[in-house]
Amino acid sequence: MKEFMLFIRSEETPKANLSPEQLQQHIEKVGGFIKRLTEEGKMKSAQPLEMKGRILSYKNGKIIDGPYNETKEIISGYYHILAKDLEEAIEITKGDPRFEEGIWRIEIRPVMKVEGIN
Amino acid sequence: MNSSDKKYSRELADHFFRNEYGKIVSVVTKYIGTNNVETAEDIVQETLLKAVDYWQHHGIPNNPQAWLYTTAKNHTLNILKRKKHKIEYESKIKKESTHLELQNLQITEDLIKDQQLKMMFVCCHPSISENSQIALILKILCGFSITEIANAFFTTKDTINKRLVRGRKQLKTSQISFDLPKNHEERLNSILKTIYLLFNEGYSPSQQNKVIRHDLCFEAIRLGEILIDNTHIQQKSEIYALLALMYLNTARFESRNEDGILVEMHKQNRKKWNQALINQGIEYLNKTIKENKISIYHILATISGYHCIAPSFEDTNWSEILMLYDSLLELQDTPLVRLNRSIPLAKVKGNITGIHTLLDLKANSDIGNHYLFHATLAEFYIQEKQTRNAIESLHQAISLCNNERDILQLEKKIKDVSL
Repeated sequence: MKEFMLFIRSEETPKANLSPEQLQQHIEKVGGFIKRLTEEGKMKSAQPLEMKGRILSYKNGKIIDGPYNETKEIISGYYHILAKDLEEAIEITKGDPRFEEGIWRIEIRPVMKVEGIN
Repeated sequence: MNSSDKKYSRELADHFFRNEYGKIVSVVTKYIGTNNVETAEDIVQETLLKAVDYWQHHGIPNNPQAWLYTTAKNHTLNILKRKKHKIEYESKIKKESTHLELQNLQITEDLIKDQQLKMMFVCCHPSISENSQIALILKILCGFSITEIANAFFTTKDTINKRLVRGRKQLKTSQISFDLPKNHEERLNSILKTIYLLFNEGYSPSQQNKVIRHDLCFEAIRLGEILIDNTHIQQKSEIYALLALMYLNTARFESRNEDGILVEMHKQNRKKWNQALINQGIEYLNKTIKENKISIYHILATISGYHCIAPSFEDTNWSEILMLYDSLLELQDTPLVRLNRSIPLAKVKGNITGIHTLLDLKANSDIGNHYLFHATLAEFYIQEKQTRNAIESLHQAISLCNNERDILQLEKKIKDVSL
């Protein structure tokens, strides 16, 4: 089994325009998806992220704070999953019911492993 | 079973978020006032967003309602502290007492119901137009989004938003208080009227989108139930009558629409009528007898009741229904009521009487502009085998009808008659 990080991307405050009814459906559907993968042992962890944070960088010999985000897109959560290969990871990701809402993009990145060391 | 499985096995009741939205907005408004109702809505929307993020990963908590209230309360206190949103108070003392009261808030069902009742009076304030009243009720008390309201009313988000903006503006300019009005028994009428309008929006057969329309009917019923449960209202006869009417009509919802086409009552499959809803309606109807008050809702509910308990269209108690229409005319003499009355009249006194009454009505009112008038008249002619008159009336009905599906139905009738 290989490890994959799935970065959930969206515009800022993606769910703000969903109605209470749609929010409840989101919990039921996406919550059910996470639960199923957790039970199958494929989901190692899953967390939402706060909409604000900091970006540090190194410039002219010192660490500077920000600018935080120039684009409107933001990582609003992540899944850490296990899959046989990238193809299976893609299939698993396609099963996330959040796609029905049309406001999410999910980036799938294999966790790098160097044989014999990790 | 490990602990996370146990947590996940919990499920939310249908429409839990939507219903809680209205409850929590009402409770928060008690503390921040009606002119800040939009802030209250923001607080609740953010509370629900937090719940989504937390619950979808950690499962639904043991007491989801308490979770939401605690989160909303803390959020409200934060907003009051940060003064980010401008909350105006009558005085400094009022402000301090509000904080303290909110901090010690103990949520009970009675408290929630009282705030919902107050919110109903606010949304149905006579200074607000009926259109805006319905939009406010659906947005604030029923937890519908603007898009959902627009879909239900076949209009644009923009139109609904304008109605909401106007309504909220009126809340501010009229300085409508969040206290229960002193004359609340009198003002109850305006709430009942708005609930009934809301119900009719959902029940209207000429509109599509069955699911949303059904939801509107049940929301109207839910609002009525909130009134019934409230101890501040003493005279409940009219509320029982309105609820009976809504239950008895909703019972026939499924059978009156096939593939988007209205099925006339004599062609409906009575087995599809929902017996549980009929029983509930009859139970409420019986409760209205306690008070000696007769309202339009009483009469309409009783008429609906006679239809619901009849074994077939022909074996309906038409003479009772006719008498009920006669009493309805005393309260509400409109051409449309007279048009509806012509149906039991024709059943009791014959189609010829029905035809004469309708022709008289047409001479004395503008009902002739309504396609239903001609469709009804045509039906009487068909029964009397006056084919030529029937076809003529059907053509007139078609020329006045805007609904494509109804036109198809009328055209089909012409074909059937011509055979």
